[in-house]
Amino acid sequence: MRLPSILRRTPFRLTLLFLALFAAAASAILGYVYVASASEARARAETAVRSELESLTGIYKERGVDALNRALVDRALNDSPYLYLLMDAEGSVITGSLNASPISDYAEGEQWITYPYTDTDPEGRVTRPQARGVQVRLASGEMLFVARSMGDTEAYLARLTQALWAAMGIVLLLGLAGGLLVSRDLERSMGRLNKVVTAVQEGDLKARAPVRNSGDELDELGLGLNVMLDRLEGSMASIRHAGDAIAHDLRSPLTRMRAKLEVALIDAEAGRIDGVDALQVALDEADTLLKTFNTVLAIARLQAAAGAGRTPDPTLFDAADLAADMAELYEPASEDKGLEFSAEIERGLMIEANRPFLAQALANIIDNAIKYTPTGGAVMLRARRRSSGEIEFSVTDTGPGVPEGDRGRVIERFVRLDNSRTEPGSGLGLSLVGAVMEAHGGRIQLDEGPGAYGGFGPGLRVALVLPPAANA
Amino acid sequence: MRILVVEDDADAATAMVRGLTEAGHEVTHAVDGAFGLLEAQKGGYDVYVVDRMMPRLDGIGMVETLRKDGDQTPVLFLSALGEVEDRVTGLKAGADDYLVKPYAFSELIARVEALSRRRETGSVATMLKVGDLEMNLIARTVHRAGQEIDLQPREFQLLEFLMRHAGQSVTRTMLLEKVWEYHFDPQTNVIDVHISRLRAKIDKGFDKAMLQTVRGAGYRLEA
Repeated sequence: MRLPSILRRTPFRLTLLFLALFAAAASAILGYVYVASASEARARAETAVRSELESLTGIYKERGVDALNRALVDRALNDSPYLYLLMDAEGSVITGSLNASPISDYAEGEQWITYPYTDTDPEGRVTRPQARGVQVRLASGEMLFVARSMGDTEAYLARLTQALWAAMGIVLLLGLAGGLLVSRDLERSMGRLNKVVTAVQEGDLKARAPVRNSGDELDELGLGLNVMLDRLEGSMASIRHAGDAIAHDLRSPLTRMRAKLEVALIDAEAGRIDGVDALQVALDEADTLLKTFNTVLAIARLQAAAGAGRTPDPTLFDAADLAADMAELYEPASEDKGLEFSAEIERGLMIEANRPFLAQALANIIDNAIKYTPTGGAVMLRARRRSSGEIEFSVTDTGPGVPEGDRGRVIERFVRLDNSRTEPGSGLGLSLVGAVMEAHGGRIQLDEGPGAYGGFGPGLRVALVLPPAANA
Repeated sequence: MRILVVEDDADAATAMVRGLTEAGHEVTHAVDGAFGLLEAQKGGYDVYVVDRMMPRLDGIGMVETLRKDGDQTPVLFLSALGEVEDRVTGLKAGADDYLVKPYAFSELIARVEALSRRRETGSVATMLKVGDLEMNLIARTVHRAGQEIDLQPREFQLLEFLMRHAGQSVTRTMLLEKVWEYHFDPQTNVIDVHISRLRAKIDKGFDKAMLQTVRGAGYRLEA
């Protein structure tokens, strides 16, 4: 059988557990009070009985059994709280407020007993409260029994027990009601969160948990969930965007390849051309596609690494050597295009980074500078340590530059500005650079170059800023 | 040259066997690492071309076993895994070169031929000689037909690599990897510019052009 849902909720179960604990504690207290009170009442009755007995045996010793008998009658008539019984040697009643001794098997000396006696309460009802009594044998052979009621204690304990039961009842009721309320409240809050989770499971990434700003754990959970969903939505959007962009970007070279192959097929069938040329073209296009794929994969890998807060395969090396190698590698290509190439490299720029990726990043920005700077311009590579200790690579050119509003955009995947579409390229170069920087805890900065230069300009300055090696 | 191709992908293997045979080599194909190991142990091969990921015994396991057995035949690893650490693991296992799939056929052939040559020129030479071109590795001088040629340090390294692989095609990627020691895509063909500068120094003013461009592949230094 399934319980109603609320009874299966954690807060309600906790309430029940606490109530059970409370009941156990109350019972224990009750038991303790009962035992303590009972033994206390017994001890008090005993002390009283003992002093009464001493007083009576004193009378007996001084004045004999008849005086004792008179004293007993006297005291009984004077509303004494004690019960008395004087018996002869055989146990027959001489005088007293009892019909017979409750001790049936009396032998010798002091013999104590706790027993119920018959009484009437103020309303005339018969009660059987407990009494504590003692029996002794007098020197002359008679037996004396003295007892005192413990009835007061009994009544007190009865009231106490009653009160505790009542309290427990109230606590149980309130606790249960409170538990139900808390459960319901929690269930509502959890329900709201669960609804978000279900919505997300069903594909609605826009679902968000309501936040009350109460600062409690559930609110924090909701906030955390929302932040997580924001990031998830962001990366999903970027994946979707990249996917769309890849599909879009791959379509044009594929279409181009298809067209060229088709033309080549027609030409080859007509015997006009050698199929080899057409195949070579097709191969080149396929290679371009593969390059695009590889770059997209590299970016994804770098971004995953950046997301996890680590650099893939880092090694410790002097960034100055890397910069010098890149300068040496690109200088001839730059000069071939009629560009003034210069490099200013500070020595001793220790860095902990992925060397191939950093080389690729640097190559990409140098390559861009050479590609977009018209003949007669200049390209300058600089590597230095900033006063903040960070390592900065910068490439400054005298090309047309990138308008300020587009500088953030050019780092996105497949973004190519209108004036760059005539140049070959995938639109992934700077995206890769951005991803490399991200995976190194660095950043890429685009600024205006040196301004107008020989009729061109304003130029572009691309800076890669990286944290230095920790122990350098 | 006798080449053992160990590759589980039938299409890739067929293309490779065909291409290498076309290029004038004698090729044997094994379908996985275990068969590859058996075939290799028969001996007589100049180069092993081994796919990294295969059923039964993978490329790493196969090459490690061969190296443990003292087989020093050059190994070219083929792999779809192109990350730095994959390359490092491959080379650590005992491979001599690493080629990431997909690759251009000219690249594969150039690398296979470069590997076989490497073994032949393992001895410590102080002079390299290709035709009338002479390189003194100690004095770091280059002469062609007795005429001294002044080279920049990197040009010297570039020429040394070309001379060590004289008569073979070397690709641009190989040059960037072996001469500059970088593994990345340089976007524009910066290597071409370095080659043309070197060509201007060693071929200009001589009847025969030694440094030739191989269409679709790269370059070749001919005696």
